[in-house]
Amino acid sequence: MKQQIIMFQLNGEPLEIYADPAESLLAILREKLGLYGTKAGCGKGECGACTVLVDDQAQNSCLIPAGKVQGRRVETIENLSRGDVVHPIQEAFVEKGAVQCGFCSPGMIMSAYALLKSSPQPAPEDVKTAISGNLCRCSGYKQIEEAVLCAGDKMKNRES
Amino acid sequence: MSYLYPSSLEEALGILRDGSGRARVIAGATDIFLQRLPHSLVDLTALPALSGIKEESGLITIGAAVTHSQAAASPVILAGAQALAEGCARVGSPQIRNAGTLGGNIVNAAPAADAAVALAALGARARIVDIKGLTREEAVEDLYRTHNRSLVDSSSEILVELIIKSCGINEGSAFTRFAARNALALPLVNAAAAVKVENGLVKEARLVVAPVKPAPTRLQRAEEMLIGMPVNRETRLAVEKAAASEVEVRSSLLRCSARYRLHLVGVLVGRALETAAQRAQQRKRGNDS
Ligand SMILES: Cc1cc2nc3c(=O)[nH]c(=O)nc-3n(C[C@H](O)[C@H](O)[C@H](O)COP(=O)(O)OP(=O)(O)OC[C@H]3O[C@@H](n4cnc5c(N)ncnc54)[C@H](O)[C@@H]3O)c2cc1C
Ligand code: FES
Ligand code: FES
Repeated sequence: MKQQIIMFQLNGEPLEIYADPAESLLAILREKLGLYGTKAGCGKGECGACTVLVDDQAQNSCLIPAGKVQGRRVETIENLSRGDVVHPIQEAFVEKGAVQCGFCSPGMIMSAYALLKSSPQPAPEDVKTAISGNLCRCSGYKQIEEAVLCAGDKMKNRES
Repeated sequence: MSYLYPSSLEEALGILRDGSGRARVIAGATDIFLQRLPHSLVDLTALPALSGIKEESGLITIGAAVTHSQAAASPVILAGAQALAEGCARVGSPQIRNAGTLGGNIVNAAPAADAAVALAALGARARIVDIKGLTREEAVEDLYRTHNRSLVDSSSEILVELIIKSCGINEGSAFTRFAARNALALPLVNAAAAVKVENGLVKEARLVVAPVKPAPTRLQRAEEMLIGMPVNRETRLAVEKAAASEVEVRSSLLRCSARYRLHLVGVLVGRALETAAQRAQQRKRGNDS
């Protein structure tokens, strides 16, 4: 498609890009904006490696035509850490051994982030559902589930 | 022309009219984005006419751009169209449910689309407008041309909303499916039932199963047989048998043999029926929840 101006908010900052609206948001993030945290896996919605938040909801960026984010809020894994200080979810992933090769981790963490935004103290079943769209070929999921629950506790403690 | 954001239904129809077949509507993009894209895309997700879920005098109206996540969490749908909430909750993954819409699920016309199967069992009607301004209303299961082809032409027609009679006293519905995994797996078979039960006897029944034909398929013989039967184990077994004997299913090298699929048809229809009937019996006058 013909390139057009697309305005959206990326990681808290307003952004205006000139791009093909039929290109995937994933391609825009990685190839145009140099944000390589979001991973490109299957390219068809089946692995979750490319998960980002759009208006606070987890979505597969490989299935989002860039034109679709016009006027929306997009958040990527790059928005989680603050300088050298990592986010409690990232901290919990390291502590609980939820990262092996790390390819699934950004997507997993974004799915966990979406969950904890809407329900700060999730039940184990909610965690399972929240990461059910994210494949991990290494860890076996148990550590990931533990990490997400632990992150919920960390975030609660930090607030109080 | 390119990626367009109409702010009203009229404007969207105007763009399709000017596009003369080269512009097509896009909703959640989860199906269309993996297919060959048309010259122009008309994004429907922000149109007020296609959003929202409301209930008025016993009728539930659901905008075609409502997502599976919204439908699965809607108190109106959970109370008045439980099979639909259950079907939507089983689509793909959270990411897919946050984007994919009910309208897209129907117009994409996959034979075992989860929301479409639930909607067919609930007797949902789809309101469609075209570029000439004409409006028509059709049963969801009547919108299929052939495998993966809808009768709704998304370059000249827009599915605006779905209308369902809200579940009343003595009525209940349920959805079931069986797939290789709990998430991100299309169903080998899915089924839904909506029934009315009075004094322990079935008064009305709609049983739907897929994939059998291009469209969600009603089991008319099993439905007829059910009328007047008591809600019990024998009835369920009889319906399981009748269901499996009235459909023909295909083998799939990737998924399962026809024989296994036929077995699943019986079992899943039986499960959906049993759950729907239990719910109907819990919804008696007085404790209507
Ligand atoms: C990884 C993955 C897993 C999936 N799993 C499931 C599953 O388990 N169960 C299931 O049922 N589906 C599944 N799907 C399919 C898909 O997500 C659903 O069918 C979804 O509901 C499609 O809706 P959409 O809004 O994304 O449609 P879009 O892709 O936006 O559109 C699909 C088609 O419908 C047309 N269209 C959309 N809205 C309208 C309208 N209002 N009026 C007229 N035409 C319209 C479009 O022009 C297009 O032809 C899966 C898809 C993926 C990628
Ligand atoms: S890369 Fe998007 S889901 Fe796999
Ligand atoms: S850690 Fe390797 S894929 Fe999950």
